[in-house]
Amino acid sequence: MDQMGKEDKKAKSGAVMVIGGGIAGIQSSLDLAESGFKVYLLEETPAIGGTMAQLDKTFPTNDCAMCVISPKLVACGRHLNIDLITNSEIIGLTGQAGNFTVKVKQRPRYIDPAKCTGCGACTQNCPVTRVVYPVEKSELEIKRKDREIVDPILAKHKERRGSLMPVLQEINKRYNYLPKDVLSYVAAELGLNISDIYGIAKFYNAFSLEPRGRHKVSVCMGTTCYVKGADKLLQRLCEQLDTTPGGTTEDMRFTIESARCLGCCSLAPAIMVDDKVYGRVKISDLPKILKDYE
Amino acid sequence: MSAKSMNTLDELSKKGLQSMYPGKIKIAVGMATCGLATGAQDVFDQLEESIAAAGLDAVLSRTGCLGFCQREPLVDVYVPGRPRLTFADMTPPRAVELVEALKKGTFPAEYVLCRYETETLLDETFKEYEQDAGDTDLSGIPLYGEIPFFAKQKKIALRNCGYIDPGSLEEYVARSGYRSLKRVLSDMSPEDVIDEIKKSGLRGRGGGGFPTGLKWEFTRKAEGDAKYIICNADEGDPGAYMDRSVLEGDPHTVIEGMIIGGYAIGASKGFIYIRTEYPLAIERLQRALSQVASAGLLGEDICGSGFSFEILIREGSGAFVCGEETSLIHSIEGVSPEPRNRPPFPAESGLWESPTNINNVETWANIPAIMEKGSGWYAGIGTEKSKGTKVFSLVGKVNNTGLVEVPMGITLREIIFEVGGGIPDDKEFKAVQTGGPSGGCIPASLIDLPVDYERLAEAGSIMGSGGMVVMDEDTCVVDIAKYFLEFTNDESCGKCTSCRDGSELMLKTLERITEGNGKSEDVDFLLELGEAVQDASQCGLGQTLSNPVISTIQYFRDEYRAHTELGKCPAHVCKGLIKYSIDAEKCTGCTLCFKNCSAGAIKGKPKQVHSIDPVRCTKCGVCLDVCKVGAVIVE
Repeated sequence: MDQMGKEDKKAKSGAVMVIGGGIAGIQSSLDLAESGFKVYLLEETPAIGGTMAQLDKTFPTNDCAMCVISPKLVACGRHLNIDLITNSEIIGLTGQAGNFTVKVKQRPRYIDPAKCTGCGACTQNCPVTRVVYPVEKSELEIKRKDREIVDPILAKHKERRGSLMPVLQEINKRYNYLPKDVLSYVAAELGLNISDIYGIAKFYNAFSLEPRGRHKVSVCMGTTCYVKGADKLLQRLCEQLDTTPGGTTEDMRFTIESARCLGCCSLAPAIMVDDKVYGRVKISDLPKILKDYE
Repeated sequence: MSAKSMNTLDELSKKGLQSMYPGKIKIAVGMATCGLATGAQDVFDQLEESIAAAGLDAVLSRTGCLGFCQREPLVDVYVPGRPRLTFADMTPPRAVELVEALKKGTFPAEYVLCRYETETLLDETFKEYEQDAGDTDLSGIPLYGEIPFFAKQKKIALRNCGYIDPGSLEEYVARSGYRSLKRVLSDMSPEDVIDEIKKSGLRGRGGGGFPTGLKWEFTRKAEGDAKYIICNADEGDPGAYMDRSVLEGDPHTVIEGMIIGGYAIGASKGFIYIRTEYPLAIERLQRALSQVASAGLLGEDICGSGFSFEILIREGSGAFVCGEETSLIHSIEGVSPEPRNRPPFPAESGLWESPTNINNVETWANIPAIMEKGSGWYAGIGTEKSKGTKVFSLVGKVNNTGLVEVPMGITLREIIFEVGGGIPDDKEFKAVQTGGPSGGCIPASLIDLPVDYERLAEAGSIMGSGGMVVMDEDTCVVDIAKYFLEFTNDESCGKCTSCRDGSELMLKTLERITEGNGKSEDVDFLLELGEAVQDASQCGLGQTLSNPVISTIQYFRDEYRAHTELGKCPAHVCKGLIKYSIDAEKCTGCTLCFKNCSAGAIKGKPKQVHSIDPVRCTKCGVCLDVCKVGAVIVE
């Protein structure tokens, strides 16, 4: 929003542009318009309302989101001093406080706004929704060695629905983490967006985007283990290996993690090294357990 | 149902009985994850070696978990003409002794946990044992039913765990496995099956408690070309491990339940979504699936009935929210596993927008038993609204930890003090936490509360998946509330502001309280915020994450007040509120604490009284643990 420059008295434009038609932009536009300014409310998407229009309730008062926002939407649309410029973005801004010139690019709507009733039938019937534009295959190169590993995994799952998770799990098992170039290759092969794959890879605790140690030590932090002192165990383990929870030792031997619950609550506190579970672990047992893993 | 498949089951059953009760000595080692973690593999290896060395004519096999995890590793011994015996706390040297004694025709009576007169299966006697033990006196050895841990239990979902080799289809069939499936496919219409489940009163064992039959009916009636069945084995609640135990000890019961469910609903494909943290369960499931497929009980045209069904395993990857059904569906689809709003429920629009029925492992495990014994039998167990039994993992500060399956309506007192054998070291029972991070703490004053869905909810907790963590006077409820908030705050997917930021704010407040910087108004603020988060969140995670806080405030407001107003932690847990010192009269100057203190906070010379420097002390509690004369004081 531009401001009225106090020093520059001669060049006040008397109009304000509000950028972004979410709840904040709408409220600012209404307040400004009520104070006598001409408001241009600019919004990137085809409609104002933003995220709040998608919510059921608002936090922390639990007010119904639509009940709050819809009178404002209507007021904004009807206000004679507010011009809505939707489906648009700013491509240039010149001038100074109090007197700006804004260059706006408005994308075509392909629909006559005067006739549209907002019934939504066109969005439901549009045949090109959810189209993903994958990375061009030619842009990608991964090492032959990686291809030898990844191609069979892809071939095994490619044709099945919901193949992404099994593919990521096998790659994670094979490399102990998810290498970036391999992920790009997987994205292209599966026809998915790399950002979607990243989103999923980061969501799950079992996946890592960083290389990990040869052995994974998971200290159970389930309720029972916690009550029986697993936090002390984790602290001591990290001290012994000179690393931090989630970290990897310098020699790439161990990665330390805190696990959610290993399901060995009756043997608390428990730790798991690779696939082997050790129950009723005492701090003094740790060196003996780790000795077997090189 | 063709005559051929009938014969197949009979043949399998004959083979199963033969391997369960061979005409010679049989030794079975309990080898679920809990057994393995206490050294069952070493015991197994030792037994194998000793049997070969002694030239004993015996069969050595593996079995699942009998539930009594406290006394693992457990070893079962069957000698023809003798009572069956269970040995507890086995070690390799004891295994050597056992084999030597068996060779002589006796057994080491001092390691016996119990003996069996009969082996029951769903209230019916399955096998009787002769009580002739040769020269050894049996009178001092309790019967299975006389062991307090087992006496009050009634095993339905766990009926085969610890009795059969989980890797053997034959043994499962011998204990009347796949008979229900056979009857369902040949004699019953899908509607009949749904009707039977509805009448049984079975409710979802994953925690929600929604009537299973009704859920099946919705999915059956929903329109869609393809329908799916999902078994939710993403057992994420810390403190609960019954699903793991069922899958490791009796994978076939879950598979049979799913095939019956698939037939009732009209689905042709099923998924088992299982945590990657359970490698052994995954391995056993895979083996079981290939066994049933080759026996013709799974796949195309099962037993000539025209019904086809396939089951696939999908591994989770460590995200707690994936236990929520819509989130789980997203995870199988391979899209971002965030929950979505319901309705539409998965019964109408689930996996790939097709009607989908999701049930928990324990629910599926109950299905074959209900179909075998009838809905009337099942509905006769439990309380008015909660039928049947529930498996609880009884853990924490209790003498007998383990998996217990008890009828609904049993009181907490019976579970904790009779089955569980009370609190160790004569400490005071303080509270029991049920339902994991979505549940609440039930205080000692409600010890006579009957356990069912409704009564637990009235007490401010939930049934949940069945975790029961017992706490004694040394557990600080504020610290526990903080622990659960740390968990849920970390596991919140971040979609709803209320859950993402609400949990953060509650956690910060609790951290402040446990550090000793709490204000008296913090407690009311937590209550108010907790209710707002409950109301404004989309999925079960957000709707229930404040339960641990609200229930502890409800029952232990004084303890919160002690933290915020008096600056004390009555249970001596919260580091910001306690101080370690050494009692000069008791200290013998043994230097143990001095040697073990990693912070270098303890000063003192051998045979002189030691002291703790409060500035350097990190309050790790090692000195308290190592002191043999009890000279370390915590205030």
